[in-house]
Amino acid sequence: MKILGRKTSINVRKVLWLAAELGLDYEHEVWGRPDRDPNVAEFLALNPNAFVPVLIDGDFVLWESHAIMRYLVEREGRGPVPADIEARALMNQWLDWQGSDLSPSATYAVMARVRKIAGWDDPERIKQSLAGWTRHMNILENTLADGRPFIIGDGFTLADISIGLQVYRWTMIDGDVPEMPNSLAYLGRLLQRPAAAPWMMPATP
Amino acid sequence: MSEPIVLWGRESSANTQKVLWCLLELGIPFERRDVGGKFGGLDRPEFLAMNPNRRIPVIQDGSLTLWESHACVRYLAAKYGAGTIWPVDLAERAIVDQWTDWVATDYQNGWLDLFWAFVRTPPSKRDAARVADALNWTHRTLKVLDARLAESPYVGGPAFTYADIVSGISLFRLATMGIELPPVPNIDAWHQRLRQRAPFRQAVEINYDELIGREVS
Repeated sequence: MKILGRKTSINVRKVLWLAAELGLDYEHEVWGRPDRDPNVAEFLALNPNAFVPVLIDGDFVLWESHAIMRYLVEREGRGPVPADIEARALMNQWLDWQGSDLSPSATYAVMARVRKIAGWDDPERIKQSLAGWTRHMNILENTLADGRPFIIGDGFTLADISIGLQVYRWTMIDGDVPEMPNSLAYLGRLLQRPAAAPWMMPATP
Repeated sequence: MSEPIVLWGRESSANTQKVLWCLLELGIPFERRDVGGKFGGLDRPEFLAMNPNRRIPVIQDGSLTLWESHACVRYLAAKYGAGTIWPVDLAERAIVDQWTDWVATDYQNGWLDLFWAFVRTPPSKRDAARVADALNWTHRTLKVLDARLAESPYVGGPAFTYADIVSGISLFRLATMGIELPPVPNIDAWHQRLRQRAPFRQAVEINYDELIGREVS
């Protein structure tokens, strides 16, 4: 099995973290700018969108980080996906929320104030992105206020991987942001997992 | 007899149309309640208690309250559509899942943003740069989708699945919003196949005059 992508990508780290949770053996191939441009025929044949991560499992090729995570758990027949259909639906709800609400709102601020990539320096867009990210963090903060250890309740699921990585990025923002005590305590619980810590390091925010 | 599923969301909402179409395909009893857009109600405490993210659609099925349109579609498909719109085989379903996620993370950020920038924004306030960005995004992703549909008749593979629902709701608006699109013959053929399904016509071919020039959600 091969996992393709660069560790600076939050979406690649979702899959790498899960692989560590499951104790999977895999080869890691670095793809993605600036290390290795995916806009080449060899990569586009795997994923026409030129996005990482990509999973190659024998003859089977799969992309989109959340689809890969769901596939790996079901393939192994074990891992952080609830068996109960309603709990699984809630896990998927929060996965989708990370992918289509939380993460897009944060993108510009991540580039400007977390990864500090040159060219992402429009003050108005940084302000807008931080405002959107804060609004979504408040939803997380309020959801965790009832004392639940993980996002859907007592059990660790795939949704905690995706949201946890995003909360780690929040802690790495260069600048003043509102305090989010529930979210930081949640991140602390996640960081206690041996499989989690390597994917939340200052070198790869 | 259990209570019917409740779908919260106005029928002119693109994301609500995904769940509406899915329910109609599955043929399960449901009630739809208008909220959002001209109906308002997203800031009411009762709504925020269901969805703190303040968006439609939301479904209630027995004790479960669920939001995020793709999570709703996946849940309904898994519970009521195993073997029909929800492939049982893991590898087949993973590909359906992949394209479903792609709609949320890539495709929809093009065409739906174009709809906002071009249709929902009044001409006097239109931002030409935003329209151009959204148009570029739409063209790029339409080409990816068209190439996918050159190799299989449906987005997820040989048969109609929930991946067709989440992507197919774009077709009516793309065809009617008055923007020139690149030639996409495979998408056009797929559109014609989908139009033969009554649930598509009923859930997706919805007049959206009420959204023209209306910038608030």
